[in-house]
Amino acid sequence: MTLTMNTELILETQGLTKRLGGKPVVNGVNLQIGRGDIYGFLGPNGAGKTTTIRMLLGLARPTNGAIRIFGKDIRKERLAILRKVGSLVEYPSYYGHLNAVENLEAVRRLLPGVPKSRIDEVLSIVRLTNDARRAVKGYSLGMKQRLGIATALLGDPELLILDEPTNGLDPAGIQEIRELIKSLPKTSGVTILISSHLLSEVEQMATRVGIIAKGNLIYQDSIERLREQAQGRIRLGVSDPESAWQMLLSYGYPAEWDRSKLTVGQTDDRTVASIVSRLVNHHFQVYRVEEEHASLESIFLEMTGSEGSL
Amino acid sequence: MLLRILSSELLKIRRKLIWFLVVLGPLGAVGLQIVNYGLRWDYLVRPEKASELWSDAIQSVESLALPALLIGLAIIASMTAGIEHQMNAWKMTLALPVKKRHVFAGKFLLTSLLLLVSCVLLAIFTYIFGSVLNSMIGLHGPVPFGELLRASFYPYLAAMPLIALQSWLSVTMHNQAVPLTVGIVGMIVTMFGAYRFPDWVPYKWPALVNTWPHPLYAVGAGLALGSIVLLLGMGEFVRKDVK
Repeated sequence: MTLTMNTELILETQGLTKRLGGKPVVNGVNLQIGRGDIYGFLGPNGAGKTTTIRMLLGLARPTNGAIRIFGKDIRKERLAILRKVGSLVEYPSYYGHLNAVENLEAVRRLLPGVPKSRIDEVLSIVRLTNDARRAVKGYSLGMKQRLGIATALLGDPELLILDEPTNGLDPAGIQEIRELIKSLPKTSGVTILISSHLLSEVEQMATRVGIIAKGNLIYQDSIERLREQAQGRIRLGVSDPESAWQMLLSYGYPAEWDRSKLTVGQTDDRTVASIVSRLVNHHFQVYRVEEEHASLESIFLEMTGSEGSL
Repeated sequence: MLLRILSSELLKIRRKLIWFLVVLGPLGAVGLQIVNYGLRWDYLVRPEKASELWSDAIQSVESLALPALLIGLAIIASMTAGIEHQMNAWKMTLALPVKKRHVFAGKFLLTSLLLLVSCVLLAIFTYIFGSVLNSMIGLHGPVPFGELLRASFYPYLAAMPLIALQSWLSVTMHNQAVPLTVGIVGMIVTMFGAYRFPDWVPYKWPALVNTWPHPLYAVGAGLALGSIVLLLGMGEFVRKDVK
């Protein structure tokens, strides 16, 4: 569960807890995000993702626990931290009566040391240059969300915190935002925390994953480690599977029979070969030997419990 | 830092009709008096009262400017805060490297600044109105600048607790119906109750009537209580979680 020692921790929480009306919404969460990570922060709706992110940005006070970003305590050095953090929290914030340039300028005036030319830069990163002079209230949701990302990038942050940046977008919009986010670390070397309720959305870009359910962080490791858990099983199509299952168990193979299919958890070639020869020796007819892959999504649903699928 | 916030705030109120209201208030007060004087010229401008012409003009404008100020401060406080409420921009602004109390102070300063501009315009419009009135009957006496400036700025200074209160309510509450109702009721209380309340009631102060025979009482008390309300609001805003 811990990062390798040579990675510098950009963000770390210890026992982060938030109670609302006595009920813990976030419960003892220990996040660890290293420099250069794209950290996928996953969980079903209402699991505590947004509340956690609000605490990371100093928008909400933790009931308990500590937050350290860039090695600094958020309670003591909030301004110094926020100077190097860009954020987009939930649905987009914008001033609808202003155009994109004015929106960014209103924010730029609060960011010390950011030149005016940076506004054109971030607009071209999110490809809004052509619509920059239109009132933002006429933008599509995808464009508003891109403007939100441009706002987050304005201060040239070292840490980018994006809360559900693809929420409510159509597939094309999701794709667009995903490509945009994937391209950022290459161009600016930024560390990204991105939250989502869909694993499929972040699995293609995340390097590390944290999964939160009912306020508890139930998983935190590299995406590769999560993929290993999604390893396949061998499915066997045989005559009389129930007695074949008992036979395989008697030889010590990890076979499973759920009254519809017979599967074996071990998938290396030698095991599969020996299983097949045992079956043949015991006069079972073998129709099919096929590999079954559990999707990351099903593992995610299993971890987060039933509310994930509702 | 406050200057940066204020410059950002001034940018945000573009195209919001707020500046229109800032001009409309004083213009309306003077404009209505122009109509009044036009209709009742013979009664209001009598030769035997020529020496009081300036005072009458200033006081008549002031009687309309006061309700305009009281309702205007509630509307402007609500509009400046509404810019953030409307599109949930508080979370964006407060995740920037700014102190929360400065953000709160910025909204209050913006509202007071806009109202100050209104008062300056009021003084200018009243001066023009009075001068034209005097020259129309051939008078070219000295302009009572002291009285003109007192009438234009004292109610504003005495209304500081109300500006701070409306600013606080508008910033804390998402639903702007509440602060606007408080503001409208406040205006009615001042307009109809100013003479009935004891001196310590803040809603009385902008009317500049108190038993202690100097309007500076209302100004001093207004500035003092205004600062206290501002600090209380700031304290609450800093402690509260951002929605």
